Amino acid sequence: MLFNTIDFAVFLPVILVLYYAIPHKFRWILLLIASYYFYMCWKVEYVFLIVISTLIDYLAGLMMERASDRKSRLPWLVASLITNLGFLFFFKYYNFVSLNLNNLFHATGLSTQLPLMDFLLPVGISFYTFQTLSYSIDVYYGRQKAEKHLGYFALYVSYFPQLVAGPIERFSRLTPQLKTQHPFSSDNLIKGLRLILYGLFIKMVIADNISGIVDQVYQTPEHFSSLDILKGLFFYSLQIYSDFYGYSVIAIGASLIMGIHLMDNFKTPYLAKSISEFWQRWHISLSTWFRDYLYYPLGGNRVKISRWAFNIFVVFVVSGVWHGANWTFLIWGSLYGLVYLAERGINRFINMDKECKPFSIRHLLLALKTFILVTVIWVFFRSQSFDEALNIFRLLSHFDRQATDVILIPQYIWFLTIVFIISDLALYNERFDGWLSKVHVVGRWLIYAFLIFSIVVYAGVENFPFIYFQF
Amino acid sequence: MLKQIFIKFALLTVLLIFLGVVYQKWFFEGDLQKHSEIINLIRNVPDSAAVIYLGESSNITYRANDIDKRSISAFLGDYFPSLLVTDVTKPAAHAGVYKVLLDQFSDFESGKIVVVTMNLRSFNAQWIYSNLETALQKSMVLLQPYPPFFNRFLLSFKAYDIKTDAERTNQFKAQWVKDEFHLPFKFSYRNVADWDNAYALKGFRDSSGAINSKLTELGCHFIKAYGFQIDTASNPRIRDFNHIVDWAQKHNQILVFNLMPENVQLASKLVGDTLVYMIKENMQLLVDYYKRKGVVVVNNGMVVPSDQFVDQDYPTEHYAQAGRRIVARNVADAIKKWRPSEYEDFQPVDLYQTHFYNDCDHKMVWGQMQTITDEFAHSGIFSSQTGNGNDYSITLEYPLNLIPDSLVNTISVDFWMMQRNTNHDAKLVIQAEGDDFSGFWQGIPVLPYMSANDRWFPFHFEMTIPDSIRNASMLKVYLYNPSKSKVFIDDLKIEINK
Repeated sequence: MLFNTIDFAVFLPVILVLYYAIPHKFRWILLLIASYYFYMCWKVEYVFLIVISTLIDYLAGLMMERASDRKSRLPWLVASLITNLGFLFFFKYYNFVSLNLNNLFHATGLSTQLPLMDFLLPVGISFYTFQTLSYSIDVYYGRQKAEKHLGYFALYVSYFPQLVAGPIERFSRLTPQLKTQHPFSSDNLIKGLRLILYGLFIKMVIADNISGIVDQVYQTPEHFSSLDILKGLFFYSLQIYSDFYGYSVIAIGASLIMGIHLMDNFKTPYLAKSISEFWQRWHISLSTWFRDYLYYPLGGNRVKISRWAFNIFVVFVVSGVWHGANWTFLIWGSLYGLVYLAERGINRFINMDKECKPFSIRHLLLALKTFILVTVIWVFFRSQSFDEALNIFRLLSHFDRQATDVILIPQYIWFLTIVFIISDLALYNERFDGWLSKVHVVGRWLIYAFLIFSIVVYAGVENFPFIYFQF
Repeated sequence: MLKQIFIKFALLTVLLIFLGVVYQKWFFEGDLQKHSEIINLIRNVPDSAAVIYLGESSNITYRANDIDKRSISAFLGDYFPSLLVTDVTKPAAHAGVYKVLLDQFSDFESGKIVVVTMNLRSFNAQWIYSNLETALQKSMVLLQPYPPFFNRFLLSFKAYDIKTDAERTNQFKAQWVKDEFHLPFKFSYRNVADWDNAYALKGFRDSSGAINSKLTELGCHFIKAYGFQIDTASNPRIRDFNHIVDWAQKHNQILVFNLMPENVQLASKLVGDTLVYMIKENMQLLVDYYKRKGVVVVNNGMVVPSDQFVDQDYPTEHYAQAGRRIVARNVADAIKKWRPSEYEDFQPVDLYQTHFYNDCDHKMVWGQMQTITDEFAHSGIFSSQTGNGNDYSITLEYPLNLIPDSLVNTISVDFWMMQRNTNHDAKLVIQAEGDDFSGFWQGIPVLPYMSANDRWFPFHFEMTIPDSIRNASMLKVYLYNPSKSKVFIDDLKIEINK
């Protein structure tokens, strides 16, 4: 069930009404049933993966808490890691690894061929796997008490607003909120609805309309002039941002109506002054996950500079691989690692990170530099293969090519894109619901009118799943 | 708190009503043209139409060597020369689509004769769960009987049956297993899935006893197309046709269901009597079921011989000229009781033609009609667009051997053309096919005859027809442009002269 469908438009109000109509002690049951139903709308069978993951991590948590020391907890942590990462590997990486090994076998003259599997990637597996892994690791280190209530634990793993594409929540943040009784609040309702409205706008109106332009450029780049290819790259930066940001904002809004606050996943990332800052503003729940569960355990920055550089590089490479089973994602992550390290190196001579006023010339120039770098690196993310990405750059550099096709961008798409960019600038370090509260009531209703009208009239009508669902 | 919420909801309601009015006034029509172009089929039906023929591709598909390539509905018109017979043709349409289209006719004058195509295959699971459904359903959303703004909301929020091809395949495969046969005689297979598997394994054997894989595959297609028994309680097509019956009664229209011919001879040859039994059983069921509801069902099911089916490698309802004429005649016979004074016992005579003209505006039945566009036109509104996916322009297809030899000496081709840029190598092609020669193809580049972009230029070409192709069973004339650059042609005139 996608957030931008009539199914969800019916599902959410029904759940909300029931949520506030029943006593608090039964709400976890309602939310758990709703979450499983929400997930089963994709593929019924795959709910068993979540159930197995939940049961093993629940049990591992309890057993780790009972164990007296880390050594005796370790087998349970390993069990949790093997289960979760095993599922993830099998469904997400098995075919990729097999295919590459088969190529290797072939190149070396071996006749061995590993079989390839024909199945759909379970939606959101990377997200809920990381969510539940963080719990097991926290319990192992004693940072988190094990959850005794299987129902609440199951709900933590499967809570529907953020189940399939995050934000990746920590147990210590989400579960206490699930357990707390939230009386109906008109403030939460209004703020939640505002966020849903804004999220739908940026997903359905911006991302979905842009996707056709981007697809054209990436499918047949040789047909287009360098300028049109540049437009395609620019629009992809906007598309992936508005697509994922839109999802996150709807998730946060839907949850907020129930009184449950999810973490912000984006903070105007394209206004970041550096790659380092970009990753503090882009997919924050994933960046902080990697920081806490990979970067710190590797030693973080309290190590020799060479080791620190290695740690940074590893984190970005793993982050790249997390996104998908393809060499392009590995290259994408590696490039971020290299650019991050290069920026840090340059900063030793010219401090580009030093504080500057928001929207000062310096800020805007640095943000432009970051945006260009990110846009270039996105090419590897969007391309199906390394060759395809290189082809884009090759074609881009041949300005004298004769194009055989042109990208036609309707005026309303330009207009709506500009509106989105302006709104994003206005939301620098602020969230839409809070920002809108400060707008005069007439202006606010005009904004509602604009958003509703745009969503209904200008939304893309094809079926556009959220890009991050594939991860 | 509740009062505040109530006020806000009241305000929101007012806002939505206002936005709805704005949308209906300034945006709805544009959306209809963009997402539900099908509406134009309805709008093009003149008020004066006495007979409205609703059909799918069976109405308009022809065989290349048909002398008269007109549609079934046009042939039907031959029997009622004083009446306006018009058609609403949408390829791949079925009762679910006709139902929505007819609902748009709510303010139509009563007493019209509405002929609705009833395609037996459309009752089978493979068609019900066809992958064409997503696009068809999408094009219907804006036509639903709700306020336009709400319909647009439903379209934006994908309130139609969206499924991937894989999901739809799973649906009909599951149905093939679920629907068990109930026959009055012993039959080895429980359902169509079993039957299809067994047939594929056994294979079709030709007269020498060898397995013919091509015919085996075709036999499997026939089993999957016709190996079903209509359940009037659950088949969605029955529900849709019932809706059409209700619509006709409500609006006082005369309803005729035109049950289309199937290639029963081929079904019998490939698969055998049980499949023919099922076809006949289903046809009779439809005739009886709707007769009880007061609808005339013209049972054309078995009337067209196998050689009149255009597609011989897949079960379809596409007929050559004689086949289309048989269907039209039977429908005419059925409806003459309501219009006896306007009925004429028309006897078709096929005369050969030597002069051909297509201005792209008058629905002449030529090949590649999908290239017709209103983007540019030399005359009227439409032209034919080549390039950027349309490799071939509208195409004259004519059996040259029908014209007496003495009249076939030269061919002249005239048309107007326009290019957007020069990145193409478009050619006028004159092509001939026949049994007694190995094929003829001549391409004449047209680029040198256009000295500027975005302007119309005349083109003329004349040649002597080689003796070797005078008996060609097919002559084709078209513009060939496989490039990405668009070239438009209009007002195409072809003359074969002594």
